[in-house]
Amino acid sequence: MQDACLRLRSLWRLVLHIRSLLAASSIALVSCGAPVSKDAPSSTHPIASEPQYGGELIYALSGETYSLFPGRQPGSNAQDAWLYALEGLVEINESNEIVPWLATSWEFSEDGRNATFQLREGVSFHDGTPFDAEAVAFVFNEAFDKQFVHVHMLEGLQQVTADSELVVTFHFEEPFAALLSNLSHRSLVIFSPTAYREHGEEWMATHLVGTGPFIQERLVRGEVLELVKNDDYWQEGKPYLDRVTVRIVPEVSARSAMLEAGELDRTIALNDFDIPRLEADDRIRIRVVPSTRQFYVALNHTVAPLDDPKVRQAFNYAIDKVGIVQSVFAGTGALLSKAPVLSEGVVAFTDMRRPGEETIFAYDLERARTLLAEAGFVDNDGDGTIEDASGAAISLTLFARRGATKGDDKIAQLVQNMLAEVGVDVEIRYWESSAFGAATNLGPDDAQYDMVLLSWGIPTADPDEPMMMMTYSKAWKPIGANRMFYASDEVDRLTVLAHHEVDPAQRKEWVRLWMVELLDDAPVIFLPTLSLTLGTRSYVHDDRILSIDQYPARFAWIDAQEMARQGVVR
Amino acid sequence: MLRLIVVRVLFMIPAGLLLVSFLFGLFHLIPGDPALLLAGDNASAEVVEGIRRAYGFDQSLTVQYWTYISKVVQGDLGVSNFSREPVSSLVIPRIVNTAQLAFWSMGFAMIVSLALGCTSAMYWNTKIDKIITAIALLGICTPVFVSGLFAIFIFSVELRLLPTGGLDSWRSFVLPVITLGAFQAAVLTRMVRASMVDALGQDYIETARAKGLSEQTVVFKHALRNALLPILTLFGLGLGATLGGSVVTETIFTWPGLGRMMVESILSRDLPVTQGALLLFAFMFITINLAVDVLYQTIDPRVSYEPR
Repeated sequence: MQDACLRLRSLWRLVLHIRSLLAASSIALVSCGAPVSKDAPSSTHPIASEPQYGGELIYALSGETYSLFPGRQPGSNAQDAWLYALEGLVEINESNEIVPWLATSWEFSEDGRNATFQLREGVSFHDGTPFDAEAVAFVFNEAFDKQFVHVHMLEGLQQVTADSELVVTFHFEEPFAALLSNLSHRSLVIFSPTAYREHGEEWMATHLVGTGPFIQERLVRGEVLELVKNDDYWQEGKPYLDRVTVRIVPEVSARSAMLEAGELDRTIALNDFDIPRLEADDRIRIRVVPSTRQFYVALNHTVAPLDDPKVRQAFNYAIDKVGIVQSVFAGTGALLSKAPVLSEGVVAFTDMRRPGEETIFAYDLERARTLLAEAGFVDNDGDGTIEDASGAAISLTLFARRGATKGDDKIAQLVQNMLAEVGVDVEIRYWESSAFGAATNLGPDDAQYDMVLLSWGIPTADPDEPMMMMTYSKAWKPIGANRMFYASDEVDRLTVLAHHEVDPAQRKEWVRLWMVELLDDAPVIFLPTLSLTLGTRSYVHDDRILSIDQYPARFAWIDAQEMARQGVVR
Repeated sequence: MLRLIVVRVLFMIPAGLLLVSFLFGLFHLIPGDPALLLAGDNASAEVVEGIRRAYGFDQSLTVQYWTYISKVVQGDLGVSNFSREPVSSLVIPRIVNTAQLAFWSMGFAMIVSLALGCTSAMYWNTKIDKIITAIALLGICTPVFVSGLFAIFIFSVELRLLPTGGLDSWRSFVLPVITLGAFQAAVLTRMVRASMVDALGQDYIETARAKGLSEQTVVFKHALRNALLPILTLFGLGLGATLGGSVVTETIFTWPGLGRMMVESILSRDLPVTQGALLLFAFMFITINLAVDVLYQTIDPRVSYEPR
């Protein structure tokens, strides 16, 4: 009888769904600043009581992991998966603060060049070998010897020494301001040197051996990663869950369907247009959090007229960022940027908006046209496109991808349309991911693009990475990631100062001045900042979402009664 | 017949080598660097070089080619570029999964299309015929992802009768098989109908009816058997297509199949996996074609593969 009632209710929900599906388009257009759930549990959900032990958390990722070895894998899907089994010296929390983890305390030398860490006692790897200073020193020194992917985060590191059983020191050439932030990066986790030496790097691509609360049990490439509770975990009374199963579900509709059907307990990367419907379902908790990933269009400064700052600034004013957030991201999947490159919550962030404006380079068509006129481009013949004195129009190519980041192809189309409004002709060239990489990894003499749509995510929530890699004149492609071939003496000077500055207040000032330069020079078109989405069934508690694109659920717990009440049976 | 089989089996070897060589050349001609893909957008040149060295992408082409070919002839399909797992252990389970999906959906499609197609032909030009033709047309026009997503939302999310995806039990087969099978059935139904109409119009059918045989015997024993050849051809092609990668179905239903793996390996430039998958798929396809040809001879003894 109860079963039949549930089914009837389901059928009614189906009717409502179909109605809402039909109405979805109008909702998307109308919803403006729709309230989004914050991280704290709302009053409509059962109040979290004491954590319960037991249960299995089934969780979905959107893409393939390829390799589970931290030294060779920069992809965020794999990193999110291995964080159940591997840990680092320090970690970053929701407020983007550094907290002690495998290291309990640290201090810097007088000259700022050495950092000494006290390691936690009583920790061991999953293979039984002890976690100690030797292990830590080996992992970092090996990273340099073998040029692991994240080695650039420890630039200037000469050596790591094991001073005693539980004390390590990092020796740098020069003081390195971002050391702690970078050590919290999920690539810089400590794996078992014994396992690495015994089985080799290749074996580590499919085997996780760390100090974390869960131990790898089974891996099927492209499908699932199963982990079981580590009974010898160093934190007393944790973890709560017996098992964690990470599934790979590439299709976004399938992910939300599985969440609604109870086949998944939690999933990342939901469709922004599905969010209002899912939020109305009281069995599901939706969290939307601003990320540290900002979209931008890299402008090739070797191509005229993109070498003229006035033209670049005009392009910035010509883009309606509010329009992009509404139409591509349903108003909630992205937010207006408050500063160039950096988002709120990143270390040394300053709000760079002009008073009264909702974003940097607030949409202003008139100003865009004026700037273009000042640069010598006007519409002489009334055909809708602007030309210079010799009659040559501005015609540019924009390289973009489809689906590499949520909404990228649509943003490209909008940028094309908006620039057409000021009389600039833009042609979009879509590339498949791998080919895109090759096409945008060329030096100034070989690069074929005028503009490239990209996004810059900061996994350490520290400005050092974008300063050193994006706007630095020594970081031109293919050496770094400066695809604009932008060079400014002042930006270089500020970058080096901030890189070595250990006083937080002074560093914040260098970073602020750097952003002032970026607003003046407008080396790129600054676009909105992406938001991250996480959908969780309401019987799961204490799982988290961080703005650095991390979704830890190591210490989550499941309310078994609530799960049964919702009819989820496994 | 035996000669045919032996020749076809032997043909698989040069075909396989040719395919592998062609793929190798193709992969190195198209733009795209797996090291760059792995390193990400914002990596420095040093990091990319490090990856290149670690994964062996920097060896000369000739060396890579001969290493690969010599391994393949010994039955070793190499290891995945990224996870270093043996290609055969990655690809074979996936082929089995896709083969199951293909087999069941084509079986479903065959039964449905034969039933509908024969009915349609028997009641040619009546209301029944028109209804069935309309349904078939609707089936052909509805893409798999539309019918698949609808099916998921109705049967999995709302009614909770079936799983949304994956491959856990017999229940996981129902939706993907029906979704994919329905599409194939729609295509086949029209062919069956046309073939049957053609066969039913032949003189020997009149004779059979004149002899007093029941309509059932006339249709199923005599007409169908003669109409089977073109139907079988389409069936073989349909089986090949569903085997090769019903990528859309596999993505919608998160089916751990070959299609998805091939697409992912191509996009990530994981050459060993792509080559291994395509090689095994090619062998399967040749085998299916061989089976279809052998079936031809069984059904119609007039068909001969001997040179005249």
